[in-house]
Amino acid sequence: MTAAPVPTSTPAPITPALADTLGQIVGRSRVIARSSELLVYSSDGLPGYTKIPSLAVFPGTRAEVVAVVRELAKANVPFVPRGAGTGLSGGALADGVVLLGLNRLRRIIAVDTANQLAVVEPGVVNTVLTRNVAQHGLHYAPDPSSQAACTIGGNVAENAGGPHCLKYGVTLNHVAAITAVLPDGTITSFGNAHGEPTGYDLLGAFVGSEGCFGVALDVTVRLQRNPQAVRTMLADFTSLDAAARAVSAIIAKGILPAALEMMDANTIRAVEASIYAAGYPVDAAAVLLIELDGFEAGLDDDVATVVDLCNAAGARAVRVAADEAERAKLWQGRKKAFGAMGRVSRHLVVQDAVVPRTKLPDVLALIHEIASRYNVRVCNVFHAGDGNLHPNIAYDAENADESARVHKAMREIMEACIAAGGSITGEHGVGLDKLVYMDQLFTPDTLDAMCGLRDVFDPGRRANPGKVVPIHSCREWHAAPSARRGAAT
Amino acid sequence: MARRAVGSPGSGNVTQVVERIREANAERRPLRVAAAGTWLDAGAPVDADDSLSLAGDTGIVEYVPGDLTLTARAGTTLADISAATRAHDQWLPLDPWGGDEGTLGATIATGTAGPHAHAMGQPRDVVLGMEFVTGEGRVVRSGGRVVKNVAGFDLTRLVTGSWGSLGVILEATVRLRARPQQTRTLLIPMKTTRAELSALALRLRAMPFNPIASELLNATFAARLGLPFHACLLMRAAGNEASVEAQVDRLRELGSIEDVDDSVWDRLRAAERGMDESSSWRWSRLPSEFGETWNAAEDATREMSDTFIHGNPARGIVRVVATATVKPKKLARLVRGFAGTVAVERLPRDAWSSLPTSNRTNDLARAVREKFDPAGILNPGIMGDLA
Repeated sequence: MTAAPVPTSTPAPITPALADTLGQIVGRSRVIARSSELLVYSSDGLPGYTKIPSLAVFPGTRAEVVAVVRELAKANVPFVPRGAGTGLSGGALADGVVLLGLNRLRRIIAVDTANQLAVVEPGVVNTVLTRNVAQHGLHYAPDPSSQAACTIGGNVAENAGGPHCLKYGVTLNHVAAITAVLPDGTITSFGNAHGEPTGYDLLGAFVGSEGCFGVALDVTVRLQRNPQAVRTMLADFTSLDAAARAVSAIIAKGILPAALEMMDANTIRAVEASIYAAGYPVDAAAVLLIELDGFEAGLDDDVATVVDLCNAAGARAVRVAADEAERAKLWQGRKKAFGAMGRVSRHLVVQDAVVPRTKLPDVLALIHEIASRYNVRVCNVFHAGDGNLHPNIAYDAENADESARVHKAMREIMEACIAAGGSITGEHGVGLDKLVYMDQLFTPDTLDAMCGLRDVFDPGRRANPGKVVPIHSCREWHAAPSARRGAAT
Repeated sequence: MARRAVGSPGSGNVTQVVERIREANAERRPLRVAAAGTWLDAGAPVDADDSLSLAGDTGIVEYVPGDLTLTARAGTTLADISAATRAHDQWLPLDPWGGDEGTLGATIATGTAGPHAHAMGQPRDVVLGMEFVTGEGRVVRSGGRVVKNVAGFDLTRLVTGSWGSLGVILEATVRLRARPQQTRTLLIPMKTTRAELSALALRLRAMPFNPIASELLNATFAARLGLPFHACLLMRAAGNEASVEAQVDRLRELGSIEDVDDSVWDRLRAAERGMDESSSWRWSRLPSEFGETWNAAEDATREMSDTFIHGNPARGIVRVVATATVKPKKLARLVRGFAGTVAVERLPRDAWSSLPTSNRTNDLARAVREKFDPAGILNPGIMGDLA
């Protein structure tokens, strides 16, 4: 019936012979087997998890990637694709399996300026692509905070966002086509350069599949024309609630800012005490960083409207950046906010919940209450325009009591966001970190269907095993049909 | 053909739909899934004796204007959604060809995009979450009600545009837009030579603003809308007063402009309604090749009268609506000879089998179908050789 082929065998161990074969494909120096060297790959951008791969392989060409994936398929060995390792969900961690590093595939294969398209290899760094097309007045729109290091392949895997996704959309909206090698070694392609869909939207399914559906060999991305004009504003509020109300008022007015970011008092102070000081008012309860861009004509009228709306919501002051230098400075504080937290304590836990915009005031108040109750210091710096919260707590992981309080507080914060009708991740992905919340967000049948989709791409479940969907849910999909039907009726 | 319809208003319909699908699954009796039936003649012929109607399952479940999101049952018409959102100066920018009598569920299931899609988004860009029932009768709730969400594998995108063949959509949450402060629609006469059109597409893409709609019409289509009998470009500028004025100034670079009432966009969509035995299909290539695409559409319909040809140059898409019977062999030849994508919406029943199958053949897609509807009971045949 469902005919789901249950993975027939347990994954095979990695043998010296396999390491040798992989070394012949990519070159011996590109295979790492020594545990002291593998430690480098034991974490990603999210502290708190340590998983050590048993082997790391770094192919340098598309042909080498395909050959490696086929060799792993033949040996029935699981693997984890990894780009720059900047992810914030533990998604690129390999726990005793092969880590497949793709950061050497850095070629920009083609740029079509007339049609605003580029074909790139998965290891191309996000900002490198923009730098390479800047001379044509174009850029690649999704701009995660890690954009100076993260790769397009990683962005595709996570369906990455960023501040400017409010207006321009997330990675999915900027990918026209992908050629991928499936975990069994088959090469296939999704979508097409001109973007007219035919058949099922497998491209849409592949983007954001967190490395569980295969490995992208090349990605055709859409390039955005640089806006004719940009205006960046900083609005200063004495209450979080007022700032949240200003956010809703701006969106409701029909003005779609390129970015609409909020930072709370704790974040402002951390930034201002760091080398990234941006001139934010240190006595404010919250600031909004608002950017409008597009056609020059009429833009200042929209700026005036936004200023009025902020004032009406209770802003103490609204400052419009006078020049590019001031604009860059305002943005630096936001983009480096997490870096600034690093000064506060050694460890940082950051979440990625999304709530309906109108629930922001309530949820922010709840977060404040939870933080006080557990005596932890929560900083909120986030994409307010789409309700994408990034509550983060700087702490000392070596302090067992503090660690326990931090994790309990985070769990309550996430549960509050789910209760408010939100989601557990807006752009970081589920990875390992948010697996525990999947059961709260989705029904067993929904998780089953997700597993079913994964099994189409990777019946052996060897690509990024144990991520995204809790393993117990995936097992259900494979239960005997009779048992399943019995349980459902 | 004996048709048995099921459908009752309200969300109590879930149990009924689930039971119906389980029964059909057990008996291997295929179902034609439908709602208002406005697009029933679209898609490849479905081989099913029974039908499952969602038309009675209507109603807006939740609408929070401050969030610009709306959740409605699948049978809710776009007209009802339009009326509810207009009261808050908002709109759902999905504007499928035919008009607003169609339902939310069918618009998403068919992935249909109208003249505002280039700037405002196609169904895949607009749908945030949905409730659907698989071919085995399992109720899946994918995505959510927030505008940004990457939790889990993307079943919402998968089912959008799958023509009901992976699941029966019961409910969907969509993202709305605030209505622009001002809009203005302009008509610009156009020459339709290959070189002129390809250049036009690139000039439109290079403009420093995005009109919220732009559609090139052939003379026949223009005349049907009461416009001069000449190929023309319809453009809709939106924004604040200063912006709209400046956009109009820039559009003057494309030719002589004339103001047209905004209602032309609804008339444009409705023009094909009631056309007997119409065929419609879309051709697409890169925008820089828009002239070739337009020419291919003209070639395909040269001997037919009353054919509408229209398209969005900046997207590189041309759509053809033909009243006369299409000669299957000729169409097959043209499709084969076209160096781009051809997406067929409607054809005479016997013409489908003559279409080449190459670009729809995909093992992965068939495996998806097998997974979500193993007995093949949901709209079998509707996606040609895929499902």
